[in-house]
Amino acid sequence: MRLSIAAGVATFSSAILLYPLFEGGAWFWGALGAVVAVMVASLLSGRLSLPAWAAPPASLIALWIYLTASFSAEEAWALIVPTKESVLELARLLATGWTDIQRFAAPVPANEGIALLTAGGVGLIAIIVDLFAARLRRAALAGLPLLALATVPATILTEPINWFAFIVAAFGFTSLLIADGRERVGQWGRAVLVRRTRSVAPSTAKAAADTRGLRLSGKRIGFAAIALAVLVPAALPAMEPVSFFTFGVGGSGSGTGNSISIPNPIANLKGQLELPERRIVLSYTNDDDKPRYLRIYSLDTFDGEQFGMTQPKGAPDNRTDNGPLPPPPGLGQGVKLTNVVTDVQISEEIAKLSFLPLPYPPRQIQIAGDWRADVGTLMVFSTRDEAAGLEYQVATSEPAPTGQLLRELPQTRSAADLRYLSVPEDLSPQIRDLALRVTADAANHYEAAVKLQEFFTRTGDFTYSLKTQGHGNSALRDFLLRHRAGYCEQFAASMAVLARIVGIPARVAIGYTGGTKVGDRWMVGTNDSHSWPELYFEGVGWLPFEPTPTGSLGQGSARVPDYSLPPSTPTDESAVPTPGATSAGEEETGDPQARQNPRELDREATLATGGLPPDDSMPLAAKLGIGAGALLILLLVPALIRLVTRNRRIRALGWKVAEPSDEVTARVMAGRHPSVAAAWAELDDLLYDYGMARETSETPRALARRLTEQYKFDATSAASIAAIAAAVERVLYAREPGEIGPLRQDLRNVRQALAVTVPRGRRVRAVLLPPSTLRRLRRLGEGLLDGFDRLENIRLRRTAAQRGS
Amino acid sequence: MAVTHDVPQQLDELVSTAHRIRQAIESVVEGKSDAVRLTLTVLLAEGHLLIEDVPGVGKTMLAKALARSIDCPVRRVQFTPDLLPSDITGVSAYNQQTREFEFKPGPVFANIVVGDEINRASPKTQSALLECMEEHQVTVDGVTYRLDAPFMVIATQNPIEMEGTYPLPEAQRDRFTARVAMGYPEPAAELEMLDVHGGTSPLDKLEPVATTAEVRALIEAVRGVYVSQAVKKYAIDLVVATRHSPDLRLGASPRSTLQLVRAARAHAALSGRDYVIPDDLQDLAVPVLAHRLLPSVEAQGQRRLPEQVVTDLVRRVPVPETRAS
Repeated sequence: MRLSIAAGVATFSSAILLYPLFEGGAWFWGALGAVVAVMVASLLSGRLSLPAWAAPPASLIALWIYLTASFSAEEAWALIVPTKESVLELARLLATGWTDIQRFAAPVPANEGIALLTAGGVGLIAIIVDLFAARLRRAALAGLPLLALATVPATILTEPINWFAFIVAAFGFTSLLIADGRERVGQWGRAVLVRRTRSVAPSTAKAAADTRGLRLSGKRIGFAAIALAVLVPAALPAMEPVSFFTFGVGGSGSGTGNSISIPNPIANLKGQLELPERRIVLSYTNDDDKPRYLRIYSLDTFDGEQFGMTQPKGAPDNRTDNGPLPPPPGLGQGVKLTNVVTDVQISEEIAKLSFLPLPYPPRQIQIAGDWRADVGTLMVFSTRDEAAGLEYQVATSEPAPTGQLLRELPQTRSAADLRYLSVPEDLSPQIRDLALRVTADAANHYEAAVKLQEFFTRTGDFTYSLKTQGHGNSALRDFLLRHRAGYCEQFAASMAVLARIVGIPARVAIGYTGGTKVGDRWMVGTNDSHSWPELYFEGVGWLPFEPTPTGSLGQGSARVPDYSLPPSTPTDESAVPTPGATSAGEEETGDPQARQNPRELDREATLATGGLPPDDSMPLAAKLGIGAGALLILLLVPALIRLVTRNRRIRALGWKVAEPSDEVTARVMAGRHPSVAAAWAELDDLLYDYGMARETSETPRALARRLTEQYKFDATSAASIAAIAAAVERVLYAREPGEIGPLRQDLRNVRQALAVTVPRGRRVRAVLLPPSTLRRLRRLGEGLLDGFDRLENIRLRRTAAQRGS
Repeated sequence: MAVTHDVPQQLDELVSTAHRIRQAIESVVEGKSDAVRLTLTVLLAEGHLLIEDVPGVGKTMLAKALARSIDCPVRRVQFTPDLLPSDITGVSAYNQQTREFEFKPGPVFANIVVGDEINRASPKTQSALLECMEEHQVTVDGVTYRLDAPFMVIATQNPIEMEGTYPLPEAQRDRFTARVAMGYPEPAAELEMLDVHGGTSPLDKLEPVATTAEVRALIEAVRGVYVSQAVKKYAIDLVVATRHSPDLRLGASPRSTLQLVRAARAHAALSGRDYVIPDDLQDLAVPVLAHRLLPSVEAQGQRRLPEQVVTDLVRRVPVPETRAS
C-alpha cells in the first residue's frame, strides 16, 4: 500500500519536470488526476489481492475511465462509462493534440488535445512505475520510466532543467526507494543501527523491525547523491544536447510565452545608422566577387504605423544541418538563377544577434550550432546561439530575371500569403490615391513596381535625410505627401505600402547593403545598415527593390537592381541605360563584371579600412595541453594552500610571547599568542602529512613523549618538541603563559628529526598532495552529514512526541 | 582563590614538604612511588583514599607510614564483622557525677583515620563513615560534632572476591577520592625489604617530617592552583563519557567530577605547576573514577574491568583546544 502511494508520488514529482513545455496549468491538474486514478486502482487491486499481472490492466481501465470522464464526458454514458462516441472523441482529441505538438514550439498552449496527451502519457508512466515498484517489487527499475519522463523536457528544451524541479523529482524517486527498502527490511529481524550520532532514544519494542537506522543511512546517501547531482554539473562545462523529440523550436527560458527575443529591428536600424563611427559588422567573400544585400529580418505585417515581424517558426526539419533549406517561395521553372557561394564572417562585437545576415534566397548553409530556417521568409535564426564571431558558408540561388520575363509573367492571383497584401482599412485615402496615380499607366505588376521605385528615386523628388522622426501613420503620410525626406526605413516601408495598395505582395527587409571592398573581402559596417522592400512576383518569387536614394547623397552602398530600372525604350529590353549594367540573366554563375554600379567606386575610394578580428581557433594539441595544465594546477591546489598556510604560520612563529595577560580563558590566550598557535597547528599538520597523526586525546606533553620515544629523537630534537609542548600547554591551560621564546628553530628541529624517519615517497606526497589540506575538506563533509543527522533527529523526536501524546 | 602572586613561593614550599613526606614513606614502603604519590595527592586534595589489594602487600604499611610521617593525631580502626557504628563515631555515655550524657568521641576524631580491612565490617557499620567522610562532621544523638582539618580516611580493603568480605556500598565508594592498588613489589624492592625489615620494623624509626599546620598550608596552596575553562570542560567530558559508555551500568557522579578536578590540582601542585593540564586528569582518571563505576552485563561477560573502560575513554575523549585552528 505504501509502495503504491510512493510510486504515484514519484511519478507525479517527475511529471512536474514537464512544466516548461506547457503554457498554463491545465496539464498539471490533468496529470495529477491521471496519477491519482492509477494510484487508486493500484491500491484497490492491492487490497483485493489481485495477481501481479492483473494490476496494470486494472490501472489502465481506471486511467481510461478518468480520461473519458474528464475529456469526453458528454459522449460517455453516465459521464464515465466509455461509449463508442467517447472513444472516437478521445481519438480525435489525441490526433489534434499530436498535430498541435508537432506544430507549436514549446511551451505549447495547453489546449484540450495536448492536455489529454499529457495526462495519458503521465498516466501510462504511472502504471509502469506502479507495476515495477508495487507489483514486481523492483523499485530501482521503476526509475527507468521515470527517467524517460524526465528526459522529455531535457531533450526538447535547450534550457537546462530547473534545479528545484529536479530536486523535487529526485526526492520523489528517493522516497520510492526508501519506501521499498522499508517494506523489504520490515519483514526481517532487527535492522543494524548505522547512524552516526547516538542521541536518539532507543526504539520502543514493536512487532515490526525498527528500520529507522537503515532508513536514515538510505536518506543520507540519497541526500548526498541529489546534492552531488545538482552541484557537480554546475561546475562542469555544459554539453550540447541533441534533440530527439519533434516539438518545434522557439522555446524560451527567460522570455515570456513562446516569443524569441527579437530586437526592435527598426529602432536598431536607426541606431546603427546614427553611430558616429563606422564599426565593422561582418565581412564576406563570394564566388563572383559582387556585393549582395544581406538580409537579416523580413517584416511582413503592417499595422498602419510600422512594419512588424510574425514569430518565425523553426521546425527541426529545417535545421541548417539537415541539408538544403526549404525552397524559396514562388520561384518558378523558367527563371535563370545565379548560384553563388558566400563566405560570411561575423564580427565578435555583435551582441545578441540571433538571426543570420544572408543573401536572399539561401539554399544551404554550413554553420556550427542549431540554426533553423523559417519556411515562409527563409530567415535563419537560432534560439540558443548567437551569430557573433561565427563564420559560415551560404549557397544562394539568386533569380536573375530580365524585365522582359517579369513583364510577361501571368497576372494570376498570387499564391503569397494574404498578409503580404493587407493594409489597414483606415489608411489615408490620399495615400491610396497616390499609389494608384503613380502606377496609373502600368500594364502589369512589374511595371507598377518599377514605376513606384522610379517615383521614389526620381520623379517624386524625395531627399535622403536621417533627421526624419517617427514612422507612424501620420509620419507615413507626411513622408509621402509633404516633406518627402527620410531614410531607407521610410522609403522601404512606403514603397511596400504603395505596392500592397496596387496589389503586389510586399514586405520590408532589414539587413545590410553589400558593403565596400577592402582588399579581397567585402566589409560591411554599421553604416551599411539598410532597409528595402521585397516584392513578390508569382513565378519568380521575392525580388528586392531599391527606392532609397543611393550614392553620396543617399544610402552610400545601396545598389539598384537591374530589373527594377525603367527601360530607356520600353520596347528594347537589352539596352539598359545604367552604364556597366548588363543583364545578369545570361550568366549561370559568377560574372565578375556584372551589375557594376559606378557609385560604389566612389564609395570605395573614400573607404576607411577596417579590420576583422583574427581567427583565434586553437589546435587540438594546444587545447589538450591547456587541459592537462589546468588539471595539474588543480591537483597542485592543496599543495599550494598548504604552502601558503605554512608560510603564514612560520612568519607568525618568529613572534615572541611576552607580557603576561590577566586571567583569561585559554581560548583567548591562544588567540593572543599566534606564534604558539601557529607552531602547534603546523606541528599537527606536519604529523598528519607524515602519517603519524596526533590522536585527539593526546595531550601536547604526551605527544612530545611519544614522538621522542617512537622516533628516537636526539637530545636537541627532544628538547625542541618538549619546548613546543610546554609552550602550548602554558598558553592553553595556565593562568599566565609567561615568557615564551620564538619557536621557529624548535619546529625546524622537530621537522628535520621527523623527516628522516619517513620514507621518501611519503615526504614527496606530503609536499605535493598534503593530506592535511584534504582533511579540511573531509571535515566539511562530515559537518554536512552531521547536519543531516540533526535534522533527522528533530523530525524523529517530533514524531515520537506525537505518538506519545 | 585569592592566591595569585605568591603561588610560586608556596609551590616551592609545597614541593619540598611533599618531597620530605614522600621520602619518609618510601623509606618504609619500597618501590611503590606511584602509590605513594597518589596517596599524597589525595591528602592534598582533601580526599579519602581506598587502598585495595590482596593481603600482605603493604596496604596497612602505606597507611601507617603516611600517618606517622605527619605530626598529627592518627587513629586506627580494625574493621571486623562485629564492629558497630558507634565504635567508629563514638557514644554518648551517662556520667554519674555530672548526671549528664557525655559524648565519648570515637576513632574518627583524628586527622588521619586508618580503616583497616574496611570491607570486613557489615554495610551498616561501613555507612557510619559516610557523614564524616563527606561533611567532615559526626552526628550522634542529634548533636553534630565538627572534625578537625585536615581529615583523611585511608581505608584498606581486600578484593571483594576474597572470603568474608562485604562489598562497599556505592554511596561509600563514591566518597573515596581515589582507589589505589599496591601490586606486588619488584624483586629488587622485595630483596631490599627483606634486608631492611629483617630486624626491626622501619615504622618505629619513622619520625614525623611535617606538622598539621604545614599540611593545612599545603592544602590551601593546592586550592589556589589554576584550572582553565578548557580543562574543566575536559574533566566534564571525561565524566560524561563514563555515563554514556555502553560498557558501564553506572557512570561517574558529579561528585566525582569535583574530586577529579580537586585531585588534579593536587597532582599539578606536586609537579610544581600552578595550573592543571589535561595530563593531570588523564593520570588520575583511572584511580579517581574506576572504583565508582559498575560494568554493564556485556562488559562483565567480556571480563572488561572498569579500569580498562576508563583507560579506553581517556584514549577517545579529545583533549580540549588543541585542534589546529
